[in-house]
Amino acid sequence: MPDFSLSAEQESLRDLARKFARTEMAPHAAECDRTPRFPEEIYRKAYDLGLMNLNVPAEYGGSGLGVLDQCLIVEELAHACGGMTTSVIANCLALEPILLGGSPEQKDRFLKPFCAEYQLASFCLTEPSGGSDAGGLQTRARREGDHYVLDGEKCFITNAPHASLYTVFATVDPNLRTKGITAFVVPRAAAGLTTGKDEEKMGHRASSTSTVRFEGVNVPVEDRLGEEGGGFSIAMRTLDQTRTPIGALATGIAQAALDHAAAYSLKRQTFGKPISEHQAIQIKLANMAQAVHAARLLTWHAAWTIDHGAKGTLESSIAKCFASDAALHVADEAIQTFGGYGYMKEYPVEKLLRDAKLTQIYEGANEIQRTVIARELLRQYA
Amino acid sequence: MEIVVCIKPVPEAETRLRVAPGGQTLDAEGVKFVLAGYDESALEQALLLKESVPGSKVHAVSYGPAPRTEEVLRAAIALGADLATWVEATAGSASDPILAAVALAGAIAAVPHDLVLCGKQAGDDEAGLVPSALGELLSVPDFGSVADLRWDPASSRFKFLRSTEAGGERWEAPTPCVIGLQQAWNDPRTAKLPSILKSRRALIAKRPLEPGAGGPHSEPEKFELPPPRTGARMIEYKTPEEAAQKLVRILREEAKVFP
Repeated sequence: MPDFSLSAEQESLRDLARKFARTEMAPHAAECDRTPRFPEEIYRKAYDLGLMNLNVPAEYGGSGLGVLDQCLIVEELAHACGGMTTSVIANCLALEPILLGGSPEQKDRFLKPFCAEYQLASFCLTEPSGGSDAGGLQTRARREGDHYVLDGEKCFITNAPHASLYTVFATVDPNLRTKGITAFVVPRAAAGLTTGKDEEKMGHRASSTSTVRFEGVNVPVEDRLGEEGGGFSIAMRTLDQTRTPIGALATGIAQAALDHAAAYSLKRQTFGKPISEHQAIQIKLANMAQAVHAARLLTWHAAWTIDHGAKGTLESSIAKCFASDAALHVADEAIQTFGGYGYMKEYPVEKLLRDAKLTQIYEGANEIQRTVIARELLRQYA
Repeated sequence: MEIVVCIKPVPEAETRLRVAPGGQTLDAEGVKFVLAGYDESALEQALLLKESVPGSKVHAVSYGPAPRTEEVLRAAIALGADLATWVEATAGSASDPILAAVALAGAIAAVPHDLVLCGKQAGDDEAGLVPSALGELLSVPDFGSVADLRWDPASSRFKFLRSTEAGGERWEAPTPCVIGLQQAWNDPRTAKLPSILKSRRALIAKRPLEPGAGGPHSEPEKFELPPPRTGARMIEYKTPEEAAQKLVRILREEAKVFP
């Protein structure tokens, strides 16, 4: 029989994240969403408690957690605020290419000083001309002696305006498609690197998002991750690692929506009794609970698969896709449960719907996840 | 300075307590036990003293059953305690404050202690008897409701404030002594993730209850949950005047609050 119980250690990690989410994040979630505001003081506290560089091994100054442990933390944080959680875990995404593609010397040189203090990093893959078609990216890397020259623009980059380090994917020859893509580490201070204005977003408004422009940015050869042309594989393997925590993030939003809806249903009276006593609402809550439960179990299973050494491409795509669809649906039903009040910004559920929407789009749009799922699935029948 | 902190695992504040069949114990099933309340402050104060007096050590001691007692000791280590001792209570054994004090005193007497810090009362039964019982059992002075606890190296004495109903009293005490703490210098800290991971591997010394400790001096006769709150009564009205008139009528004629 599979064992779904958490260890005492996992319980205490979850308790830490839950306490932080409730006391430090939740009280500021509505304000940061409305303003919008990038609450750097909260991110700094998350760093101080070890909640930021979760996937970086302890020897480089991170927390060194497996994917399941990361998921337990991410779900708790997202219960309080999806946007803040996106900013807190963006380092995991940005540093994963160094963990996967970096030499021991590069890991020492980049990760140790980076993790030794509060700093943010950004993962730069998506471009204005396309996100899902990563193989068709246009940012150029021209080799000139002992360095490369980067030219191009990245967009929708999380934490970019506040980051001190960028992992960047550029092509040495667009005609080579995926085989030309190469990964680099670029510090904020590099001449020619600029970030754009903060994007005005529908949700995740406590997170900061902007373009990153590279105009003749010199990158020494020793700051290239892996081989020339090896970047596409690094990017895809990075997303294999970080996709599952997005399932956890979506699950956290869905759980928050269910919690709000259930609590409200016990208080709100219509036709002389609490709406929780109306079957229409009971069925709604029961369906929401099923979606949340399934999202969590799929996420845990994908995480468990990866922690046991498998690639988990199929499992993580299923988890991310299902959980993000579930989050949107559950948030929608939570609004419906609140009725007119749910549509008002004064109540917490409309934010959940806006935050949930992004989880269907980022870290691989759900259309791409379904393409991946179908490919992995059909391989078993071919 | 060798600081011993006595801590007790108590149900998390948000727990919905149930009385176990028979009515003499609370149902521990599904209840999360934590380090909380004054004990959390006592540990925080111990860590603050350790940080302000070089070479100090904090030793957390707890009496209770598995697994909750081990868990609060690990939580104390994650927060910064250097050592931990668990006096194991057998499962289902009753616990009263005097028995707990006997168990703790046995463990404390066996280790160096310049200061024994307790919460002034436990977060669950709030009996507040352990600090004074410890003072008696260890034959050292004890003080309750203490705040602003300082170590004065010049006189080698503790200086602190005791809050009383009339205000506050300034006291001094020698080492060793027992302090029941009301308030630490600041709010209890939160354990960091790496410390939590490290605390899982830390060694916890286990001690059996003293052979001559005897049984509990008191046993609960019956636990009862408070009666459920009766629903509020809403007054239907169209104008504030009408609401006030109806309320006055109810207060006078039904509740008979005034004639």
